[in-house]
Amino acid sequence: MRNISSVLGRLAKSVSVGLVLFFAVTMAHAQDVKEGETLFKSKCTTCHSVTRNMVGPALAGMSERHSEEWLISWIHNSQAMIASGDEAAVQLFNDWNKLVMTSFTDLSDDQIKSIIAYVDAEEAKAAAGPAEGAAGGAAGAQSSDANTLMILGLLAIVVLAVIVIVVLNRVIRTLEKVIAGNQAAIEAAQAENEEYKEDRFGKFARAFVRNKKLVGFAVLMLVAFLGVWGWNTMWNVGVHTGYQPVQPIKFSHQIHAGVNQIECQYCHGGAFKSKNASIPSANVCMNCHNTVTAADHYDGETSPEIAKIYKALDYDPATREYGNNPKPIEWVRIHNLPDFAYFNHSQHVSVAGVECQTCHGPIETMEEVYQYSPLTMKWCVDCHKTTEVNTNNEYYDQLIEAHEKLKKGEKMTAAMIGGLECGKCHY
Amino acid sequence: MDSNKKYWKGLEELQQTPAFMESNKGEFAEPIPVEDVLNEAGLSTRTPRRDFLKALGFGLGAVTLAACNRTPVHKAVPYVIKPEEVTPGIPNYYASSFNGQSVLVRTREGRPISLAANPNSIGLNQGTDATTAAVVLDLYDMSKLQNPQLDGKDVDWSTLDATVIDALNKAAAAGKQIAIVSNTVNSPSALAAIAAFVAKYPTAAHVQVDAVSYSGIIEANRTSFGKAVIPSYHLANANVVVSVAADFLGSWLAGEEHTQDYIQNRDYKSLKNGKMSRHIQFESGLSMTGSNADVRIAIKPSEEGAVLVSLYNAITGQSIAGGVSNKKAQTAIALAAKELTNNRGNAVVVAGSNDVNIQLLTNAINSALGAYGAIIDLDNYSKQYQGSDAAFQQFISAAAAGQIGAALFLNSNPVYDYFKAEDVTNALAKIDFTLSFADRADETASTLKAIAPASSFLESWGDASSKEGYFTIIQPTINPVFNTRQAEQSLLVWAGDNTNIYDFVRKNWEENILAGTGKSWNDVLQTGFIYKGSSVGSSYTANVDVNAVVTAIGAASKAVVGDFELKLYESTVMRDGRYANNAFLQELPDPVSKVTWDNYAALNPRDAEKLGLGENGKVTVEANGYTVELPVVWQPGQALGTVSIAVGYGRTKVGKAGNNVGQNAYPFARLVNGTVQFEAKATVAKAGGTYELAQTQTHHTIEGRNIVRETTFAKYLKDPNSESGRFADSHKTYDLWNKFESPGHKWVMAIDLNACTGCGSCIVACSVENNVPVVGRDEVRRRREMHWLRIDRYYTLEQEDGSKLTKEKEIAKATDYDYENVTVVHQPMLCQHCDHAPCETVCPVLATVHSSEGLNHMAYNRCFGTRYCANNCPYKVRRFNWFNYWNDSRFDNYLNSEFTQLVLNPDVTTRSRGVMEKCSMCIQRIQGGKLQAKMENRKLRDGDVKMACQEACSANAIIFGDVNDPESEVSKALRNERVYYVLEEINVQPNIGYMTKVRNTFEA
Repeated sequence: MRNISSVLGRLAKSVSVGLVLFFAVTMAHAQDVKEGETLFKSKCTTCHSVTRNMVGPALAGMSERHSEEWLISWIHNSQAMIASGDEAAVQLFNDWNKLVMTSFTDLSDDQIKSIIAYVDAEEAKAAAGPAEGAAGGAAGAQSSDANTLMILGLLAIVVLAVIVIVVLNRVIRTLEKVIAGNQAAIEAAQAENEEYKEDRFGKFARAFVRNKKLVGFAVLMLVAFLGVWGWNTMWNVGVHTGYQPVQPIKFSHQIHAGVNQIECQYCHGGAFKSKNASIPSANVCMNCHNTVTAADHYDGETSPEIAKIYKALDYDPATREYGNNPKPIEWVRIHNLPDFAYFNHSQHVSVAGVECQTCHGPIETMEEVYQYSPLTMKWCVDCHKTTEVNTNNEYYDQLIEAHEKLKKGEKMTAAMIGGLECGKCHY
Repeated sequence: MDSNKKYWKGLEELQQTPAFMESNKGEFAEPIPVEDVLNEAGLSTRTPRRDFLKALGFGLGAVTLAACNRTPVHKAVPYVIKPEEVTPGIPNYYASSFNGQSVLVRTREGRPISLAANPNSIGLNQGTDATTAAVVLDLYDMSKLQNPQLDGKDVDWSTLDATVIDALNKAAAAGKQIAIVSNTVNSPSALAAIAAFVAKYPTAAHVQVDAVSYSGIIEANRTSFGKAVIPSYHLANANVVVSVAADFLGSWLAGEEHTQDYIQNRDYKSLKNGKMSRHIQFESGLSMTGSNADVRIAIKPSEEGAVLVSLYNAITGQSIAGGVSNKKAQTAIALAAKELTNNRGNAVVVAGSNDVNIQLLTNAINSALGAYGAIIDLDNYSKQYQGSDAAFQQFISAAAAGQIGAALFLNSNPVYDYFKAEDVTNALAKIDFTLSFADRADETASTLKAIAPASSFLESWGDASSKEGYFTIIQPTINPVFNTRQAEQSLLVWAGDNTNIYDFVRKNWEENILAGTGKSWNDVLQTGFIYKGSSVGSSYTANVDVNAVVTAIGAASKAVVGDFELKLYESTVMRDGRYANNAFLQELPDPVSKVTWDNYAALNPRDAEKLGLGENGKVTVEANGYTVELPVVWQPGQALGTVSIAVGYGRTKVGKAGNNVGQNAYPFARLVNGTVQFEAKATVAKAGGTYELAQTQTHHTIEGRNIVRETTFAKYLKDPNSESGRFADSHKTYDLWNKFESPGHKWVMAIDLNACTGCGSCIVACSVENNVPVVGRDEVRRRREMHWLRIDRYYTLEQEDGSKLTKEKEIAKATDYDYENVTVVHQPMLCQHCDHAPCETVCPVLATVHSSEGLNHMAYNRCFGTRYCANNCPYKVRRFNWFNYWNDSRFDNYLNSEFTQLVLNPDVTTRSRGVMEKCSMCIQRIQGGKLQAKMENRKLRDGDVKMACQEACSANAIIFGDVNDPESEVSKALRNERVYYVLEEINVQPNIGYMTKVRNTFEA
């Protein structure tokens, strides 16, 4: 039964897809490129790029190299073509280390044609690329012009400054001559002025010292200020909230966890099963960055940050081969607990069901990670005092029973079942 | 309740010597000189104030400067490509084997950190010996060679291979012999590799020789059964065991396996069924086995044969001349013979001697007792010791005659452990090419032309077959750390076979071992072993010409008779000396004498007095033309006129920790009738000077309080509660403190004093698990050993008629006592996790507090070292860190480098100087077990959490668990009538219950 229904379902699907395609094709040819783009991005990008060789060859110029029928038949089932002894197919297969291309039997001929149309369009864009490059060259020339302008401007400012200094010197000299003429009068005026000044300050100081209340108040304020300042400073010795070191790779959690919504567990699997959350090894990065090179943001080049992963793995993206000289990436550790404090991620994440963000803050918005929580013992204890135990776990059955007997109705926090005891974290 | 006996740890305690009284007056061995500082003299000296100000100023400045440091930047370096099976923070376990025992190796982030028995294996599947528990440290030993060597210079493997192959070809072309000299090799793949080597070089021969030889048994069995093997002993089937100088629970053959079997008839489960075996021991030095015997008779080494003759006469009703004349022994033999014959088929006699004739007589006795089959198994025989003293003799004479072209030494160090080292060196000089596979330039290897350092078993592929039909796998748990290559691979390369050792081992298993079993290679990697033998051995009858044997024994023992008779023995701790560079083993106190870091001459206190020896005296021992000066231990239980010395010490080229520890005693051995024997006629004389041994016996003394309870089996049968002296049975208690609630778990322990043999492997396992530092000989002398768990050994005196000296007055009267008859109790002592802990109430900073799970927590980072807690602990189980042992260059025999520090358990903090520590009840394991249960959404099951000490105990003497679970093993054990709590009367409410020692003595 299941077979028949699935066959019927597939039939219905293909009929409906066919109908839609039929309408689409008859409606407008311009749709082709757009549809081709969607299809290309969902089906082909894992192995192909238009302009670059990846797992498979660069697709630019494929419609010149092969006929449309050939391409359709190749994409549908390349192995059958190779088996049938098609010369071009065999040649291609051998050229690419006998890598088997996935057969896309579910793609209709028209869909494949759309993809070809898209590739051609992209190819044309890429061909326009060098022209853009030339434009870029012009811009480069402009910027060098800008540089000379800036230098000239600076020189002008220097000259101007010299002139101003010379003029001012002249003025000073003239004024000195005038002063020399009126020396005596000025001296008398000065003496009077100083006496007056000292008098005013002295008066104020004497009044202040005489007012014992005021002195007492001031001293008190000073002590209070120093005390508060000292207290805060002392408390924060060794607390590194906001610590945001420069990392060897400008990895953005905002892009990965925020925009792309990648589960934390995908990279930090250890947090769910071990004491260490663990930084992913470079081979985990390669699951995506094998193909995701962010080239569209870097003029078709691999992003320099992603290239650092390749370098760590001694991976050559051109030949797609791994060398023998991998070097681990040395990240700077942000969250540092002292050796005598034992912390286990899995207890908190898997057992208690604490969100990563509770301790690590809005990690999905962080362009660069910083330490969000103080990681002090007070901070741990405060949370243990208020957090209710996730009792949805058979392990706690006995404890819940005992707890019911002891304190009826109150919620059971981590603290109540020994979550504040020294030996929970220090051994 | 008053004790019915007087227990004492050392003679100084028994006799209350002034030095002992002085050292036990204060809580700490070395008081802090507070008085000196505070009294007038201290203050009126010339410059205390200025010194104080200087120190203060400097200290303040230093602290300020130190505080100016920026917080260090820590790096976090992930794997480049993470192996699939590794999750940082979670241990991986690999089935492997060590010394033929199937073990599980625990690794963290790719580095092995501990070994434990494989619980699913057959034979020894609970507990390990101390060596197995400690051996992981040897992997991280910096004294090992890092490259192959030629003439003492580092070379690469290709150079070495070329040289070796050239030398081998030369030897083969000249028609000279090529010898592979090894200790016992029972590994099938190693034997296959040797066979491949022999096939390539037909003049090659394999010579096996063991440092401590058992060829006497092999030869005896060849004569009496036509089977040149060492049998397996199934002591679980024995109701009566009589041992004549065999330390069968310790170093004799498979000590731990014997322990596991032997205890099955003596532990709390067996007693519950009203069953207990009887063990009678005849020996000269007090061995660990002797200390566990129900009845122990001190005899001289020359009397071993005579005892067996008398025993044979008594059992078979014959009257062959040559029996023992010692009166005490005669009485005991009569009783023992009665026991043995009453239990025919369930009784066995074992003899430790390496004399073929003595073993032949033992075979005749066992045959008469019907022990062959159920107890002594000749079908599934042991393959652990196959060395032949005669074969090694032939090798030496052939080498001396220049007939040997090349010699390769595999796990063999005859320059150190052969009794005539100069014979070996002279013979080696005549061999054209010599090579050793030793992992370090040891005594033999350093005199040879080349060293091809073999990888540790933790870095190798291999296997073992310690018993016929029983095969265990060795799989690597780490890549070779240094540029080493396992010996099997080297032999293959030199034989022109370039098969990778993994393929070689696998092929050998698939073709020869797994064929027909239906198991695959992957199954074995998972289970670690395969057993193809039968479950029970068949019955055999010994064919012995008893009269001839007895005549020979009589003649041989005459050669040993003298003023002093010397008995060499293998200590349970250091064994044959192979692992002498292991600091954990060096610091493990001997089970009986409690001496660490040395060997010594054990003398009966009366003999020591006669020689005029004072405290820390030394003697010169001479035998077989070899003389050595040794410190003396006044050993109660030592037979009069005998001296015992342990072999395995006095190594000179083993590494930082083990070099020049003690004296080499191997040269005392003799070759008699083709076997190496450990008994000799000796002269003992007082030597000048004194030497203080690092002996822990009277450290942490309990001041005569009644903490050991002991009864006899007869009394136990009448009243299981007998002598347990439980305070709560007869007294009402009043509490100052509130009752401590433990609503979830309550972790407790039960320790069966009847099962504990005192071997000490728990101590080593505890040290490995909890990063307990090794402090070295000098610090042990200052009573600063750090062991969280110690085994207290108590003596009681026994009178001639078998009754025990009780009242102190009587002991005072018994000045003419000869100290030959003592009985011993071993009591493991560790933190009792008292519910009303005295240590907790005196801590001024609340560094030690109680948990809701009944544990006494210790927060190291809170402790600032007042030591009040240690002062107030009635059990004396708290230890103070006088130094940063793990990174202080003064303690460089322990974790002397970053490399060695890789052995540390990453789940446990290393304690810094000035901090108290003590048993945490392996809290990291408890937390780990609980977390595992939570992750799997289930309740914690009994047995999920095992203590390190419990895991290492092959006697199952330590039972741990949750007493809130009435069905747990520990709850059941603690409901036993024998359970008592140490110092229960002071109402500290300890959480560790002890079970009375039961001794199955002869009824009066």
